[in-house]
Amino acid sequence: MSVEIMAESKKMYLNMGPHHPATHGVLRIELELEGETIVNATPRIGYLHRGIEKLAENRNYQQVIPLTDRLDYASASANNMGYCVTVENLMGIEVPKRAQYLRVIMAEFARIMGHHLWIGTHALDIGAMSVVFYAFRDREMIMDINEEIAGYRLTPTFFRIGGVAHDATPKFIEMVRDFVKWFPKGLDGYHKLLTENKIWTTRTMDIGTISAEEAVNYGLTGPSLRGSGVAYDLRKAFPYSSYDDFDFQIPVGDKGDVYDRYLVRMEEFSQSLKIIDQAIENLPEGPVNVDNPWISNPDLDEVQKDISALIRRFMIHVKGPVAPEEEVYTAVEGAKGELGFYLVGDGSEHPFRLKIRSPCFYLASALPRLMIGHMVADAIAIIGSIDVVLGEIDR
Amino acid sequence: MVRLTIDGSEVEVPEGTTILKAAETAGIRIPTLCYHKRLPPIESCNMCIVEIEGEEDPVNSCAAPVSEGLVVTTKSKALHEKRTANLKKILKHHPLDCPVCDKAGECELQDIVYEFGIEDVPYEPRKVKRDDTYSTTLIRYWADRCILCGRCVAACRDLKQIGALEIQGEDENARIVVDPDKCKSCGECLMVCPTGALTENLSKYKGRPWMVKRVWTTCSYCGCGCQFQLNVLDNRVIGITTDVDTGVNRGSVCDKGRFGYEYIGDESRLKKPLIKENGAFREASWDEALDLVAEKFKAIRDEHGPDAIAGLTSAKCTNEENFLFQKFIRAVIGTNNVDHCARL
Repeated sequence: MSVEIMAESKKMYLNMGPHHPATHGVLRIELELEGETIVNATPRIGYLHRGIEKLAENRNYQQVIPLTDRLDYASASANNMGYCVTVENLMGIEVPKRAQYLRVIMAEFARIMGHHLWIGTHALDIGAMSVVFYAFRDREMIMDINEEIAGYRLTPTFFRIGGVAHDATPKFIEMVRDFVKWFPKGLDGYHKLLTENKIWTTRTMDIGTISAEEAVNYGLTGPSLRGSGVAYDLRKAFPYSSYDDFDFQIPVGDKGDVYDRYLVRMEEFSQSLKIIDQAIENLPEGPVNVDNPWISNPDLDEVQKDISALIRRFMIHVKGPVAPEEEVYTAVEGAKGELGFYLVGDGSEHPFRLKIRSPCFYLASALPRLMIGHMVADAIAIIGSIDVVLGEIDR
Repeated sequence: MVRLTIDGSEVEVPEGTTILKAAETAGIRIPTLCYHKRLPPIESCNMCIVEIEGEEDPVNSCAAPVSEGLVVTTKSKALHEKRTANLKKILKHHPLDCPVCDKAGECELQDIVYEFGIEDVPYEPRKVKRDDTYSTTLIRYWADRCILCGRCVAACRDLKQIGALEIQGEDENARIVVDPDKCKSCGECLMVCPTGALTENLSKYKGRPWMVKRVWTTCSYCGCGCQFQLNVLDNRVIGITTDVDTGVNRGSVCDKGRFGYEYIGDESRLKKPLIKENGAFREASWDEALDLVAEKFKAIRDEHGPDAIAGLTSAKCTNEENFLFQKFIRAVIGTNNVDHCARL
């Protein structure tokens, strides 16, 4: 080989993923490297595509709820919230107050769970391996709460069309209060390990910076957008499910680098905890399902005594409520950003079309812009900072 | 032609039409339970009541004929309350059987209860629990589930001209009684029963309507050519479903069509050709078996003439198989000795 050819071949193509411990799922990124610097990056997705949107077309509205749990599986109840609120908008159902408060508690717990996974894996990728153990210790407490109320740890599927599956037990309320009392100490622990850590700040400051205008142009939402200074949170902008009853703030960053996004999420831990505290202390009395014989499941003891309750329970499970021939788009603030559901009803008990606007999709599409110019090690920090979950990107 | 007004729209229908059919032409649907398209009106459920201007009491629209200038209301608060009350009366003694009832999922009673959004009908069990089989082992009658709509009685009497069924007893003890000498197990009563009171007692495998695949076919047994759907679960036929609008039979079939499907998946059917050797059958490959048969047929035909061979086929083969069979006997073997079990 001549010297000229060797001097020309400067670019190296490196395939990162899909089997990679630091891509937070099966994300594949094709990196074009010049030495250690990234010249171009192309994310490739689809390794976790399960056809959720197509599956939804063959199920009735209640049966789609477990499918939505598995979108952003790190914070499962937030997806349920988005879907149920959309269906209720389409069918014109009003959810009773107590159910709305319980939903808020589950959704905010989901946000905290998602952020736990984020902080654990982000720190682990960069090298701070102790954080993941502390984060998962606290995450286990939330999973125990999920198990208490819904039976499942990771994907509770606690929500139903028109309310929630059943009422909160006294043990649930006690467990939530215990968590609210403990967690500020746990959060303080993560701060002590990372926030003023010299290695952490060197690895995360001025990495993956994106300005507010560019972030909006790329369609970023959620903590990644707020890290760049845009105070947009759907819980404040278009309140749903009684979020306007609660007093909380939206943390906003400055420069839009990895460190700012880290600080935004850390503060979101506290704000979510504040919402949960207010919700559990002010839990209103009342039913947990809309009073509608075509939609709410009768209780099991009623079913064993009353023939009409038995028939209704059977028909609700087999057929379920029917949607009008209309379409609706509703979005909620998921743990990663604006999680939107576009639902087209066709007069039957199946959705005609369910399109999911996944926030992580837009975050992943901004990866080239964030990564170019940085080095391979920074790429890991950037992927961690935008906090993608492939279940949501690929659906 | 008679002109009348239903819910504000004017309809023109031939004389003698019932109000229910007249409303159908106007696209207005009146809830019914005991009414069946092919049967004369029975008037036992009182769900199809409508209000007629000038009359105090509502009338059953399935039976009331139209008259010139009639003004009919099919939807009102009072009517809805009366219909709900009638339905609750029917439901009071209906047993809590949905999870184990064959009909659940395609039950007309379930559908209408869900449609009305009925709540609060505590179940009162009848004083004497009773159920037993019909006169035939193929049909089972669940007397507690029976809502005494009378469809089966009308079907047996008017559709099949047999009249083997009768309602006997009063109030809580009323039930359907079968004349065992007249009943032919044709299953017409099964077809019209709106609930799970009459179920098929043949297939030991059952499937819910959404689990079962339905395949349209023509009955193979005789030349009538009745149309029905085979209900297939896990590659096994577990029953048939007829449709009141399809085929020359319009939903009716005889007992062979209704219950004669078990041979399709019977365990004792051959899966491999067998050749008799030394008094016992042994398995053989298709090539070996066909070669042997061809050789022997040729030998018989050459030695004794084609009329020494005769062919007998059956209704349990498809039309295409029977066509090939008679072509084989006539054109290949060269004889007219071919017959079919239906001719016997």
